[in-house]
Amino acid sequence: MGLDNWTGGWWSWTRQSDVMLRNVEKKILSCLKTAYKRFYVDIGSVVGESDKIWTISLNEESPKTPLVMLHGMGAGVALWCPNLDAFAATRPVYAIDLLGFGRSSRPKFSSDAAKVEAQWVDSVEEWRRELNLPQFVLLGHSLGGYIATAYAIKYPDRVRHLILADPWGFPEKPANVYEKHQVPLWVKAVATAVQPLNPLWALRAAGPAGRWLVSKTRPDLSRKFTPYVPDAETVIPEYIHQCNSQTPSGESAFHALMHGFGWAKNPMVKRVNEISPSLPVTVLYGSRSWVDNCTGQVLAETRPKGAKTYVQVINGAGHHVYLDKADLFNKYVIEACARADDDEQPSIRDANETDPPANTTS
Amino acid sequence: MNLSFAGCGFLGIYHVGVAVCFKKYAPHLLLGKISGASFGALSACCLLCDVPIGEITSDVLRVVREARAGSLGPFSPSFNVQNVLLEGMEKHLPHDVHKIVSGKLHVSLTRVYDGKNVIVSEFATRQDLMQALLASCFVPVFSGMLPPRFHGIRYMDGGFSDNLPVLDENTITVSPFCGESDICPRDLSSQLFHVNVANTSIEISKQNINRFARILFPPKPEVLSNMCKQGFDDALRFLHRNNLISCTRCLAVQTTFQLQDVLDDTSFDYDPECEECKTHRQDALVDNLPDTVMTIFQNAIDSANHGLVNWVMRQRGMQYLSILTIPYRVPIDIMYATFTNYIGDRVETHALQYSVVRNVHVRRKICRRHNNHMTRFVSCTPKMSKSLWRLSLSLLQQLHGFVYYAHDRSDVAAQIYYKLTADRKRELCDKAGQMERRRASEVRISYGDTVLSDADTFEHILSVTSHNDALLAYYYLDSDNKMKLTEIYDVTDAESAAVQSPAERDANRHLEFDNDWAADLVHDNEQLDIEAMDEEDELADRNIFSDPESEWVRRCSISSASESDGEQPESDQRLATNLNNYTVTHMD
Repeated sequence: MGLDNWTGGWWSWTRQSDVMLRNVEKKILSCLKTAYKRFYVDIGSVVGESDKIWTISLNEESPKTPLVMLHGMGAGVALWCPNLDAFAATRPVYAIDLLGFGRSSRPKFSSDAAKVEAQWVDSVEEWRRELNLPQFVLLGHSLGGYIATAYAIKYPDRVRHLILADPWGFPEKPANVYEKHQVPLWVKAVATAVQPLNPLWALRAAGPAGRWLVSKTRPDLSRKFTPYVPDAETVIPEYIHQCNSQTPSGESAFHALMHGFGWAKNPMVKRVNEISPSLPVTVLYGSRSWVDNCTGQVLAETRPKGAKTYVQVINGAGHHVYLDKADLFNKYVIEACARADDDEQPSIRDANETDPPANTTS
Repeated sequence: MNLSFAGCGFLGIYHVGVAVCFKKYAPHLLLGKISGASFGALSACCLLCDVPIGEITSDVLRVVREARAGSLGPFSPSFNVQNVLLEGMEKHLPHDVHKIVSGKLHVSLTRVYDGKNVIVSEFATRQDLMQALLASCFVPVFSGMLPPRFHGIRYMDGGFSDNLPVLDENTITVSPFCGESDICPRDLSSQLFHVNVANTSIEISKQNINRFARILFPPKPEVLSNMCKQGFDDALRFLHRNNLISCTRCLAVQTTFQLQDVLDDTSFDYDPECEECKTHRQDALVDNLPDTVMTIFQNAIDSANHGLVNWVMRQRGMQYLSILTIPYRVPIDIMYATFTNYIGDRVETHALQYSVVRNVHVRRKICRRHNNHMTRFVSCTPKMSKSLWRLSLSLLQQLHGFVYYAHDRSDVAAQIYYKLTADRKRELCDKAGQMERRRASEVRISYGDTVLSDADTFEHILSVTSHNDALLAYYYLDSDNKMKLTEIYDVTDAESAAVQSPAERDANRHLEFDNDWAADLVHDNEQLDIEAMDEEDELADRNIFSDPESEWVRRCSISSASESDGEQPESDQRLATNLNNYTVTHMD
């Protein structure tokens, strides 16, 4: 907006500016020890006119299967900073801001759940084509886990190993949610009033106080980042605020995927069978997470015999499992990646496999 | 392994359910440090000093009843939560509570002037502890205007800064709000957004919004009962998921080896073959809240639902009427509260003066205690009726004392008088109360007989068990499916003849100096002995000479159930060899 440019963004209610976001992201990423590259990948017209996906890449020269990371709702690439170094030590690592989040473009998504899902999956596929990655290990956290699963269903040949960290959108909404606890009328009224709003509406409504609001409602996040990021107390809330105070296109898309208050319209549990049986899946859960951790079991049970499913519960970790117990999480992910390297699947040999066998041992 | 209880006002009944479960299935988890804020600190304290759950439950229900009775609910001027809590603590906490909980109980407080969090874990006196707990429960405006002082600095509810104090990595967090805690209700609603308020993670769901309202406005006993059940079930599920439930034998082995790394990533090393463990776990799966707690709830629910007055109040018209009359009832309530405050304070001062006068005759210590204003730190509250009652009681006792003195001035009589009057209640409560709390009612009955008779073995055991901490205590089911409790005491320093015969004590004393290098220092030993006698007064109840390396072993087993030593777990016996042991076994 022209007005914002010459007033230094003073007229913008939310104090959002791409320069600030870029700088604060850079500040967070300064804790990385591995050399990294940040760039836009132009994926053309997938959802909007010309969509760009913000990408960070590390250790691109390594010949091993790359790891692609999809963040969760309201997050961005910088929040992977406790993990990037560890992963990049063994293989190329790509982390992207999902379309509609972080620094990626914010086109208007469809309002239909199935279409939104397809749009997201296509954006990832376009991005892959641009970077010319034949195959990769796909890691998704929370909402990213849902998209990663959808991607793996649609493009099974591209995914060598699917790693889901506390994925969202697996269980189905139970029919009798509120039978057990009777909630009073006023609570129901509040819930109904909030329902049509985007999930993070309060953050944008708070305007200039948004950063303060983030630091007050999620002080645990900045505290957990303290060992990794210098100045985490101010930088992390600023980053989250900047990520989510722009046009909430990703959020609206997520809202379209939702049914009720936080349930998926098309829960993955119904489509688990569509995941190719030859695709190994690793599910990582935090033991304290509020995401229902029995879905890991369900996944393991419903997949056909012979399909490899590994479920790992990380004790003492919450939903942000990559952050709460970063070392353990890194260990499990690296193990899963090593397994992906070891798996010599004949079906994927045709997809111009470049991995020499000598590199498969880690 | 540490425990941490979140502060949550009247939702604290959830903690009671958790506590019941832990006591029943994982008593070994209670050996570590327990931290908490607000009501969490209270329940942590009760857990540490082993206050019986039933009493806590009924006390919480009593508070809830009082809170719901006023015109503005808990905000009524005649309801003073600090006062009610203080009464409860005075009644239930044992007299040496500060010794029991120091170093173990971590109370989270918020310093008023800078809003920083302070965690207190050392308590010099019982008053000190109660003051800290009261400060931790102080919500401004709700509890009063001026926050209480602790060591001269004003503090308020720990929930304003750190509601769920986590001491280290291996901390089991307990919170009645659905969120990212180890033990918390798992709502079936949203699984998406949560906020972090004062270190407690709270999911944004309808149920949690409802729970939030319940922090200060207590719900009906039915709802409370459900919350308590929920706490029990959640705790049980946690124990089950982490394989923390095992039979007594495995438990004792685990206790000695690895209490530390239960929550580590290495899976807990339990013996999957142990049949007893398996059945124990199976039982636990279908278990429910114990009857003792359930009956209390049932009684509360019944008393709230039965009777003509309750029936009338339940009618819709009556409810509307009560809402409409609030503007009229509130001023009356305020007037009443002010009046009772004023008069109550006056009467209390008189009562105090009388009891001071009375106690001058009896015991100087108590006199000092009464003069100490610390006991009256929340005296600005209405308790007129209680003060009146105390005044008349003290007058009666006074009269009785004079009559008794006139009759007989011998020592024996003085002692009986002493027992009957001033300290009767306290002494009895101290011994019998503790005994009863810890053990079965059977024991209490037999104790009732022994109180009045001469000193006998049982009383001495009683005094030992009530004044010392058990080194190891655990519950288990015996072959007849009866719950048994075994407590092991260190009695090396016990002076009574019942516990140790004079010869044994002699041997004990000699052995205590029997160090490797002591052979050529015989006269040194004698000197030491004399010194010890000089200092006996100060060090009467401290085991100053206990030598952990001494191989001296003696076991004495007194069972109210017919049970021999052989029936006790092996691990227990093995543990016993390094200590001077004294085992009391009871039947439940």
